[in-house]
Amino acid sequence: MSNLSATLRSAGSAMGLAIAMGLVAFVVFGPLANLVIWAFAEQWFYPNQWPTRWGFEFWGRVFRPRAGAWESLWNSVSIAVATVGLSMALSVPAGYALARLALPARSLIMLIFLLPQAFPSLPIFVNIAAIFYNFGLNGTLFGVVLVHSLPGLVYAVWIATAAFSAVDRSMEEAARNLGAGPLRTFRDITLPQAFPGLMAASIFVFLDSIDEFTGTYFVGAPDIATLPILMFNASMGGNYQIAAITALILLIPSVGFMLVIERFLKADVLSRIGR
Amino acid sequence: MNIRIAFASLLAASALATSVSAQTLNVVTAGDTNMVDYINDYLGPKFEEAHPGVTVRAVGTGPGDGGSQAIFEKINAQKDKGVWDVDVAVVHQRMAGQMVQDGLLANYRDGLATSKLVTRETAENALGVNVSGYVMPMFHSQIAIAYNPDVIATPPQSYEELAKWVKENPGKFGYNGITGGMAGVGFVFGWMYAFSDMADEIRNGPWVDGAADKWTPALASLRDFNQSVVMTPGNAGTLDAMNRGEIAMGPVWMDMFYTWVADGRLNPNLKLMILSPGMPGQPMYYAVPAKAAQADLAKEFIAFATSPAVQAEGIVRRFNWFPGIDPQNVKSELTDAEWNRLFADVAPETLAERGWSMPQAKYFAAILEAYEKNVAK
Amino acid sequence: MTATTSADARQTPPDPVPGSASRRLSGMLPGLLLVAPALTAIGLLYAAPLVRSLVTAFVGADGTFTFANLEKALEFYGADILFSILVTLASLALIAATSIAIAGYLTLGQSRWAVPLLRWMYRWPLFIPFIVAGQTARSFLARNGMLNTLLADAGVLDAAAAQSLLDWRGLVLTFAWKQVPFVTLLLAGAMASLDRSTIEAARNLGASRLRCLFEIVLPQVRPQLFVALVLSLVTLLSVLSVPVMLISGNPTMMTAMMAHRVTYYGDYAVANALGLFSYLLTAAAAWAYLRMSLKEKANP
Repeated sequence: MSNLSATLRSAGSAMGLAIAMGLVAFVVFGPLANLVIWAFAEQWFYPNQWPTRWGFEFWGRVFRPRAGAWESLWNSVSIAVATVGLSMALSVPAGYALARLALPARSLIMLIFLLPQAFPSLPIFVNIAAIFYNFGLNGTLFGVVLVHSLPGLVYAVWIATAAFSAVDRSMEEAARNLGAGPLRTFRDITLPQAFPGLMAASIFVFLDSIDEFTGTYFVGAPDIATLPILMFNASMGGNYQIAAITALILLIPSVGFMLVIERFLKADVLSRIGR
Repeated sequence: MNIRIAFASLLAASALATSVSAQTLNVVTAGDTNMVDYINDYLGPKFEEAHPGVTVRAVGTGPGDGGSQAIFEKINAQKDKGVWDVDVAVVHQRMAGQMVQDGLLANYRDGLATSKLVTRETAENALGVNVSGYVMPMFHSQIAIAYNPDVIATPPQSYEELAKWVKENPGKFGYNGITGGMAGVGFVFGWMYAFSDMADEIRNGPWVDGAADKWTPALASLRDFNQSVVMTPGNAGTLDAMNRGEIAMGPVWMDMFYTWVADGRLNPNLKLMILSPGMPGQPMYYAVPAKAAQADLAKEFIAFATSPAVQAEGIVRRFNWFPGIDPQNVKSELTDAEWNRLFADVAPETLAERGWSMPQAKYFAAILEAYEKNVAK
Repeated sequence: MTATTSADARQTPPDPVPGSASRRLSGMLPGLLLVAPALTAIGLLYAAPLVRSLVTAFVGADGTFTFANLEKALEFYGADILFSILVTLASLALIAATSIAIAGYLTLGQSRWAVPLLRWMYRWPLFIPFIVAGQTARSFLARNGMLNTLLADAGVLDAAAAQSLLDWRGLVLTFAWKQVPFVTLLLAGAMASLDRSTIEAARNLGASRLRCLFEIVLPQVRPQLFVALVLSLVTLLSVLSVPVMLISGNPTMMTAMMAHRVTYYGDYAVANALGLFSYLLTAAAAWAYLRMSLKEKANP
């Protein structure tokens, strides 16, 4: 008897668990499914609950030569690559110094690199745009790269610092003892070991730049259209299909990197972030 | 390695920027996405066909006065430079006036082949500012009320009836306030025409100091009205809310309405009407900035865009706007059925009687500020 | 995505450099040289605009010091400031509750299929841009959107009584959807590194999993939870796209009104005055956090 009730109870809790997991799945994936439906709905108006015509018509519209989707895609990718380049060029030396070299007021410097994440960024972007007007940087790709590098730099410095402090020093010392110069030691020993962490930092910076909207909106628009700007305009113009299609394109790098990031962001680096 | 990537991409970026060669015509337009679509899908390709080697690049700056403000800031930021990167600006009335006053626009119209075809009053006067010579109307458009006759058999015909109707049917009427595009702004102006007792001064001037103080009752009733309506996100948002059955009535641009119906994006049973005493309409203007890099090409572009054939095919037939040049020149290029489609729901007489202009520039700004101060908060 | 600050961040002291002060300084030269470019970039891209935003908020049209911008911001957008505070607080509450539930289950759950499944599922929104979240929420939560349609199909909801959730509720739900994975990630990470023996001991003594979570696990990861929430607060106060896409009319989030002030009127003064309020809000949160952690250090 007690056996039966225990079985029943465990069956009941398994059932409850299954329902709970179903709810989580609905909350996570329902909105995404909604996006997919909109991307393929050709005709959908009240009182119809579901689209009355399906098809690829709007995909053709998004990618027609003059629509600007290709240009936005190209802009987004080239801006993101340049942002990664600029942020890493600045943060690899900084990260190395913060992790390995003697510095005055090191914790203050670390704090300075955290500040941009500690206060709302919108007023900063608004004022960057106002300052950039004086230098003719508004509406240029370089201006947008600079704006994207601000959050990029923050991630990059923190992760790079952690990556360099996780490097095994005894191997470096061994290399130096064998007569390798400091630069060669850095290139052959330090850099390869820190590489996964630096790669993870680059991925974060890349994703952040691809998804960035607010800074681009104030500094780049209307001349520089990235995918998020294109999507925003389509959405505000009531072109839900076009917005949904653009959104799906934006999701490709995000989801792709989410699946591989763990390979690069190892636990030993993760645990050193912020130190 | 990363430095190399950075350099390479910076080089690529600057190469891209300079490859925009001497034969590119930069058309910067305010307004909803249909403005960019018009240039990208219709006008640009046609113009390029007639001018080999020319590329028309269309840039949209967003709906409503915010879009025109962006064009102003873009040009104003380059004020001291020798050449500006905007060849043709498509702007709203208020900004056209301000830009003429600030000396940012060229007086280009007299040499234009199509300048004789313009008869609209708005080509000379933009909300109280003399703009004669500086602008060509691209089209004229009118704000109207869209409604679903399946839900509302006999819609209210005036602002007064509407106010009463909304009280009895809360949540059925929707508009986009004043931050999301001109359809909502125009609806608010119509409200002021109806209830401020100053309709004539607001539209024709002169400016009276302290006018805003007299609007308290009108604004208070609008605030009260807003309690029973649905706020929609933008001009397109109102149409979209109608589409999804969230509201049964709301102010829209007539052209957008017809375009959406033709596109299969809007229930074709919906209808349009204009409230009495009147609702505003407005033109969009073609203007040439004073130091446009391609001024001559810009003039050719505008002459082409205001030719009867383009006005008939592009403006009326494809995008459902009222022509910017004199209708007589356009009508002959269209069949009667095509022309009458513009008046399918709203008869020409009603349009003449209830299609009013926007407020004069100072009143325009004063009403928006008063709305933010008294109604929105 | 700043999976960065851990509250107990300790300092790894740099190798002591022997010698006099001047030799110490010259020893620091290479480090300073390497850090300088990045610091300069932060100075130009962050400090300069920050200073400009603070100054502009207090300068009138005639170039003199004034409180008029702040007054106008309060008079015009006081309701929006209040709305922003309430929405962020509600969002943070929902985020905290959901994240604790998910992270707690990931740590204490025993199901061999549900734990990995949940671990795989909860992360998805983490890398989805806010603007995409806003777009999908806009059609998902509308009155005749997919959520209500499905609820009506399932017979849970009367279609005629369906409501649009595109108001403060939509904001809270969208913000939570986007930020829960971030907070959960930090929280679950912190929980995973706890000493399991106390938990096992308590379980063996018959404590329920719920009690374990609230009495043993949660108190130990409180600092991480608060850091994650403060970072989320900053993020929520920075997002422009979601309120613009979801909320029509007023009140709305401060960010939307800052952008409105700039794009419609070119009015940087009032926009920066509003910005000042958002700084104050995060500063208050940071202060509350510091006070809490100091108190905890005082009486552990």
